[in-house]
Amino acid sequence: MLPTLNAAGDVLLTDPLSPRLGNIGHGDLVLLRSPLNPKIRLMKRVEGDNVTYFDALHSKAAQVAVVPKRHVWIQGDNIYASRDSRHFGPVPYGLIEGKVFFRVWPPDSFGLDQ
Amino acid sequence: MGTSSFLWNCTKKFITAGIVTVTVTDHFVTVIPVRGGSMSPTFNPKAGSHMGDVFDDYVLVEKFCLRNYKFSHGDVVVFRSPLNHKETHVKRIAALPGEWFGTHHNNDVIQIPLGHCWVEGDNTASSLDSNSFGPIPLALIRGRVTHVVWPPQRIGAVKSTPPQRLSSF
Repeated sequence: MLPTLNAAGDVLLTDPLSPRLGNIGHGDLVLLRSPLNPKIRLMKRVEGDNVTYFDALHSKAAQVAVVPKRHVWIQGDNIYASRDSRHFGPVPYGLIEGKVFFRVWPPDSFGLDQ
Repeated sequence: MGTSSFLWNCTKKFITAGIVTVTVTDHFVTVIPVRGGSMSPTFNPKAGSHMGDVFDDYVLVEKFCLRNYKFSHGDVVVFRSPLNHKETHVKRIAALPGEWFGTHHNNDVIQIPLGHCWVEGDNTASSLDSNSFGPIPLALIRGRVTHVVWPPQRIGAVKSTPPQRLSSF
């Protein structure tokens, strides 16, 4: 998620109620369980319903995907070092555990996140 | 003054009990109703019959299995629907990640992807399960059903083998 989050690790607050109320929208940072390994949590950004994406490892051209109903397309901000929906496709909404809304560390980035 | 301290003590007790209850139900065990006939005859065996028992079964759901996501064939699990995150389903695990599984209704053989499993209701004629939406991520699972706690005549442990299935060939 560079450069949004630091390589040394940021501390963020997440809101577990937003996914239950359906308040997840385009551009939100979300905490979710990996569909490949349920013991791993991922933090990715939600994209819109029609996605144009670039996967540097498999193709030099942009590709287009349509996201099914009740699913989300998630991408890391650092597209060259992120394993996300470009590899495993759209993920069910039910995997989302929380929405990031505040950053508490490091102090120079303290404040509402976005 | 005695009345206000009495009320304060009651309030503290209620708040403490509430916090403990929420913690237990979120992390350890909870009791939920099972609706519909997709798991008949394991749950709701009379659902759909003309005699129409209108009461739902209540089952005990344990959540210790979510620490390692270790499941076995035949485990009955509660999971968030991949089609609607506000609904939960109760089904039986039929295949685990990496295994090859032959689906019965279209005679196809597929390999279950990493981190996914295949779930089926015991009553295949009336079940919305992996035959409809494919393998589900293990991370959608919210608990494992271990016991029936209501109605009294069927209190007991849930078997991990599906009931003998009538052959449809």
